[in-house]
Amino acid sequence: MASYIARRLLAVLGVLWAMTLLIFGIVHLLPGNVAYMILGEYATAEAVATLEARLGLNDPLWLQYWRWFSGLLGGDFGRSLVMDRPAGPLIADALAHSAILAGISIVLVAIIGIALGIHSAVHKGTLSDRVLTLAQYFFIAVPEFFWCILLILLFAAWLGWLPATGYTPIGEGGVLRWATHLILPVFTLVSGLIAHVSRLTRSSMIETLESGYVLAARARGVPEGRVLRRHALPNALLPTVTVLAVDVGILIGGIVVVETVFAYPGLGRLLIFAIENHDLPLLMAGMMVVTTVYAVANLVADILYAFLNPRIRYGRAAA
Amino acid sequence: MADPGQAGKGPLLDLRGLSVSYATGRGQLAALQAISLAIPRGGAMGLVGESGSGKSSVVLAILGLLGEGATVAADAARFDGEDLFANAASLRGRRIGVVFQDPSAALNPALTIGSQIAEPLVLHKGMSQSEADARTIALLAEVGLPRAETVARAYPHQLSGGMKQRAVIAGALACEPDLLLLDEPTTALDVTVEAQILDLLEGLRARRGLSLLLVSHNLGIVDRLCDDLTVLYAGRVVEQGAATTLLDIPAHPYTRGLMGALPRADKGRIGRLVPIPGGLPDLTKPDPGCNFRTRCAFVEPPCSAPQALVSPPGEEATGRLARCRRAGEELAWPVPPLPERTVRGEGETLLEANALSRSFALGGWLGRVSFAGGRPHLAPQAVVRAVDGVSLVVRKGEVLGLVGESGCGKTTLGRLVLRLIESDGGTLRFAGETVPQRPGAGFRRRAQIVFQNPDSSLNPRKTVAEIIRRPVTLFGIARGAAADEEVDRLLTLVRLSPAYRGRYPHQLSGGEKQRIGIARALASQPDFLVCDEAVSALDVSVQAAVLNLLDDLRDRLGVAYLFISHDIGVIAHVADRIAVMYRGGVVEEGPAAAILSPPYHPYTEALLSAVPLVGARGRAASRIRLAGDVSSPSGAGGCRFAHRCPRRIGPVCDEVAPPVIEPVPGHRIACHLPPETLAAMPPALGAA
Repeated sequence: MASYIARRLLAVLGVLWAMTLLIFGIVHLLPGNVAYMILGEYATAEAVATLEARLGLNDPLWLQYWRWFSGLLGGDFGRSLVMDRPAGPLIADALAHSAILAGISIVLVAIIGIALGIHSAVHKGTLSDRVLTLAQYFFIAVPEFFWCILLILLFAAWLGWLPATGYTPIGEGGVLRWATHLILPVFTLVSGLIAHVSRLTRSSMIETLESGYVLAARARGVPEGRVLRRHALPNALLPTVTVLAVDVGILIGGIVVVETVFAYPGLGRLLIFAIENHDLPLLMAGMMVVTTVYAVANLVADILYAFLNPRIRYGRAAA
Repeated sequence: MADPGQAGKGPLLDLRGLSVSYATGRGQLAALQAISLAIPRGGAMGLVGESGSGKSSVVLAILGLLGEGATVAADAARFDGEDLFANAASLRGRRIGVVFQDPSAALNPALTIGSQIAEPLVLHKGMSQSEADARTIALLAEVGLPRAETVARAYPHQLSGGMKQRAVIAGALACEPDLLLLDEPTTALDVTVEAQILDLLEGLRARRGLSLLLVSHNLGIVDRLCDDLTVLYAGRVVEQGAATTLLDIPAHPYTRGLMGALPRADKGRIGRLVPIPGGLPDLTKPDPGCNFRTRCAFVEPPCSAPQALVSPPGEEATGRLARCRRAGEELAWPVPPLPERTVRGEGETLLEANALSRSFALGGWLGRVSFAGGRPHLAPQAVVRAVDGVSLVVRKGEVLGLVGESGCGKTTLGRLVLRLIESDGGTLRFAGETVPQRPGAGFRRRAQIVFQNPDSSLNPRKTVAEIIRRPVTLFGIARGAAADEEVDRLLTLVRLSPAYRGRYPHQLSGGEKQRIGIARALASQPDFLVCDEAVSALDVSVQAAVLNLLDDLRDRLGVAYLFISHDIGVIAHVADRIAVMYRGGVVEEGPAAAILSPPYHPYTEALLSAVPLVGARGRAASRIRLAGDVSSPSGAGGCRFAHRCPRRIGPVCDEVAPPVIEPVPGHRIACHLPPETLAAMPPALGAA
């Protein structure tokens, strides 16, 4: 198991290194002058030359890459051009806010999605399964920005129960006010994903319940509840675990939209800000952080997968 | 509740008039139509039938696990005097144990072997976990698993197929059941492992006084284990009685048909098999009369009236029953005249493989990263030598049979000689010319393949005509209207009417699909066919028809075959010469008759003596049994069979490659034993 984790960790480091090349490449190898891109097309030649000197844009590419890469290794994420502040603390602050949103969302997706999926599989073909199926397809089909607008109109503008935008730290307004700012963004983020995860869990649970070892467990006289919990569930969850890791990626994409619409001060909004203002160092640092989050989520999924699946935990060595 | 007056007397299991039907889109499918069977205490009943006969429904009905789509009805269903259906939930796992066909499917991959066996002990017997664990280890030892403690802690994927099936049997025995249901318990296993499992079941039955219900399509293993037989056809019992008499002189035409269609290793080449024409009747509209009569050679007009399951005249005392009004008559199954066997195997060389090899890498590069010794480094790539320096010759119009157990490299070799996969070493010559790694259309036209599974080798989106027409036009055999005529000709050749042209594969039966696979392979008018387990997926009655067809094609078209099979009976029936493969190499090769009788390679001897034969009950004692299975490790350089060989001489077998002995020209055995010892071996297939 330790060597399996070490091997996965090695793969994650490889992916992250490849991403530094890719991110650096996208920003620096694209046609066009980087300084012009930042300053706009009407910049004076003098301003361009100053910026190029400041960013070291006249140095050979490998040297520029090495400066950025070695900075990353030492924890230096570069400096935001627009705000003229180190990018590291900016991103850390935004990441903390987004992590609250994403963390609550992924936990809800996992718990509610799996529970609904199991319920549907066990009660396959019944009324509750059919109603759930209908609802799941509805939530998968409707895009999240639609929910953003509808929810703001309904709960903020019309009913006035919840704030439409913004964020209040717990220290300032208490837990209740903090939570009211989270309800609408979280609902928007999880609705589609819960539907997706529960559909997947349902089909893999149904397949597992039809497997030979579940029949064999029933033939041994194992009570049905125990058959579900102990014999079917660990196997049925394998595909779900993999998909939950992929869903982290979808969640990050969703966060960019949701944070922009609800004016939530997170990483997604910071990235949009960096793109709009051509703040390349901030953008590169932000993309690196997002990549790392995704890679770590997949590492966690791999480890969880191995925990559920002894074929990965233990090799083929015969007993 | 148990009636104290009845318990302990009468049969252990008594089913009377059991009917099972399933709801389908076309109406109720009558899977079982009023079947009756009784198993006495300590008795063993065999339930025989082809696919679709309803035998698995019997097992699930006894367990009460048929599911919601099924309707069950019975005049009486009693287990030890109690109502079976009312008590099914408390009987299964406690008094009725079950072993399913595929041990890989029946064991939960996420739980240890031990926890799955201990579970019913804790649940039903009220044992503590530590008591149950101790009992589990004792059970695993009882079913002959070495190092039972290690096995109990292992996960299913860490064990071989034979070890898994032993573990499943140990689990079924955990609560000391009175009745063990065995649903095709050895069908997923290799023949040498099957023999071990049958020995185990025989021993357990004698030791524990178990009653058995053995469900199988294999008459040989049923004959070996059972006292009584029930023959099931399309949901009805057609014949019932003592195993010995029933198999010696079958009374019902269907049972006779099964026996006539069975290729038998001990009989060698008996000319033609007798297939049963036609297929299963439509179970959604059960025929009130004899439901076999559309396939029966002895049919008469009164057969359309309902037939009773009664003793044939003169056999009332034996308790034998048959559902046929002509059962008492002297009837011989109409055997078609034996065609003159043309002498083959003397022709010129068609295909010549010389030291062909192929290895496969295990795992990707990341799997090679090792942390052994504390420092990450790349370990050498693990490889499997699937085919290791195999040389063989196929002559024109000859059938070379290739036998061996799963994983021995048969399929890889079949694909290597067609250059469907590239070889790592060795050369291949066809009709005197060297075949390159990527051969041209000329070789492809002349050398074709029939795959094991027609379901996955026929494109489900193409009609029969499209499937067969493609090679006809591709290889320039015919074009336009002539190609359509050619398709009709090929369909007729494999005995299908041209009306099949427009059908899709899912509209065909298994035997018909396999015939389309053969027609497609023949479409390019090849000289050489590789038949890779071409009849393994088929029922005996259909298998006989396909084997006869392949036989005829060879006689009429002079096609040569490399016929790959794990079934010794089939190989003995079709092959002119036989090559025996073990762990990537050929250990023995020679004319069919020479392979099937001594002198043998010790592996061939073990393989042949493991074959379950019909009507050879006394043979068990003289059998050779192999320990372990193919995946056991072996040293490099020596004989590949040394680690399991019951006739191992000593270290020489592990270290030195065996010499090739040639007792008669053309018969080669790779073994260290002196030729005299090999020649003195007893015949493994019995005295026949």
